[in-house]
Amino acid sequence: MSKVSEPVRERVWDPLVRIVHWSLVITVVAGFLIGENMSFANIGWHFWMGYATGALLLIRIIWGFVGPAPARFSHMLTGPRQVIDYAKTVRKRSPSHWPGHNPLGALSAVALWAVLAGLVITGLCSESEDFFETAPLAGYLPSDLRLEMTGLHDDLHEILVPLVFLHLGAIAFYHFWKRENLIRPMITGWKWVRRD
Amino acid sequence: MRTLIMKSVAALALTATVSAPIAMAADTAEEKAVKARRGYFQVVLINAGPLFGMAKGDIDYDAEAASTAAANLDALAGMNVLNMYPAGSDKPSLPGKSRAQDKIWSDLDGFIGKFQDFGKATDGLVAAAGNGLDALRPAVGALGASCKGCHDNYRDKDF
Repeated sequence: MSKVSEPVRERVWDPLVRIVHWSLVITVVAGFLIGENMSFANIGWHFWMGYATGALLLIRIIWGFVGPAPARFSHMLTGPRQVIDYAKTVRKRSPSHWPGHNPLGALSAVALWAVLAGLVITGLCSESEDFFETAPLAGYLPSDLRLEMTGLHDDLHEILVPLVFLHLGAIAFYHFWKRENLIRPMITGWKWVRRD
Repeated sequence: MRTLIMKSVAALALTATVSAPIAMAADTAEEKAVKARRGYFQVVLINAGPLFGMAKGDIDYDAEAASTAAANLDALAGMNVLNMYPAGSDKPSLPGKSRAQDKIWSDLDGFIGKFQDFGKATDGLVAAAGNGLDALRPAVGALGASCKGCHDNYRDKDF
C-alpha cells in the first residue's frame, strides 16, 4: 500500500459551478424533451432552452479560466499519462477522494460541454421546415448550409444522449461500486478529498 | 498559322464551355420527378407560409387570405402525388438532389398515409381558416404536425 493521507472535508464546488450544473440539467433535459416532441406550440420554448444553455455554457467556459482551481480547465485537463494512471486505479472498490474532476471524469465533462456548445451553435443556424421557424442566425446562411446545420444539430443530439448516460452511469458506478457519493457534493459543494 | 491555331483552340474551348451545361441540363425521368415534387412543395410553402405567419402573430389575420391559402393547400393535398415519386428518385440514387429516403418505396402504404394526414390537416384548415385567429391557430398546429410526421419518417435532414 502506498502512503495515504486521511481524507478531509473540503468545499470543492463553488456556488457558480453548482448553479450552472443544475441549471444545465434543467435546460438540456427540457430542450431535449421539447425537441423530441416538437410542435407549433412549443418550438419557441425549445429556442429559449437553447439560448439559456448557450448562456450557461458561456459563463461556465469563462469560469473555467478565471474561477477557483477545481473549476478550471487547467486543473481538470491533466494529460494522457494521468488519465491512464487514474484509469488503472478506477476499478478499486474505494472512493477516489479526488479534489475536483478526476482526470477521466474531466474528459467526460469537457466532451459534454463541447457537444452542447455544438448543439447551441448549430441550433442557432437551424430552421424548422415543419413549423416555418428559423433560428436567429439561420437567415444569414444560404439555404443549403442551413440544412447542413439542421442536419448536424440532429446528429449531435444523437451523440449527446449516450454521453449523458455515460455521465449518469459513472455516477452510479462511483456510488455503488466505489461507495463514493458524487451527487451530494454537487449540491452542497462539500466533498471528502485527499490532498496528495 | 499561329493565330489560326489560337483561334481553333479558343473556338473549341468555347464550344466545350457552352455545350457542357446543355449536356448536364438534360434531366432523366427521375430528375424531372424530383424537380416536380420540389416545385409542388414550393407551392405548399407559399400557401402555408402566410397561415403560419398569422398563427404566430407575425402578420395580421385576414380571413379571406387564410381561406384562400387553406383551399389551395386542400387542393394540393388532394392530388395523387405518386407520379412524382417514381422508383429510383430516392436520395441514394440521386445524392445531392433528393432528400427522399428509400423507405418511401419499401413502405409505400405508410408514406401514402402521411399524405392522407396532410389531407386531414387541410380539411381542418378549410373549416377553420375563416373563423378567426383562435380557430386558425390549432389548425395550423395540426398542419405543422402533419409536415413533421412525414419529414421525420421519410425525408433526410439534408441532401
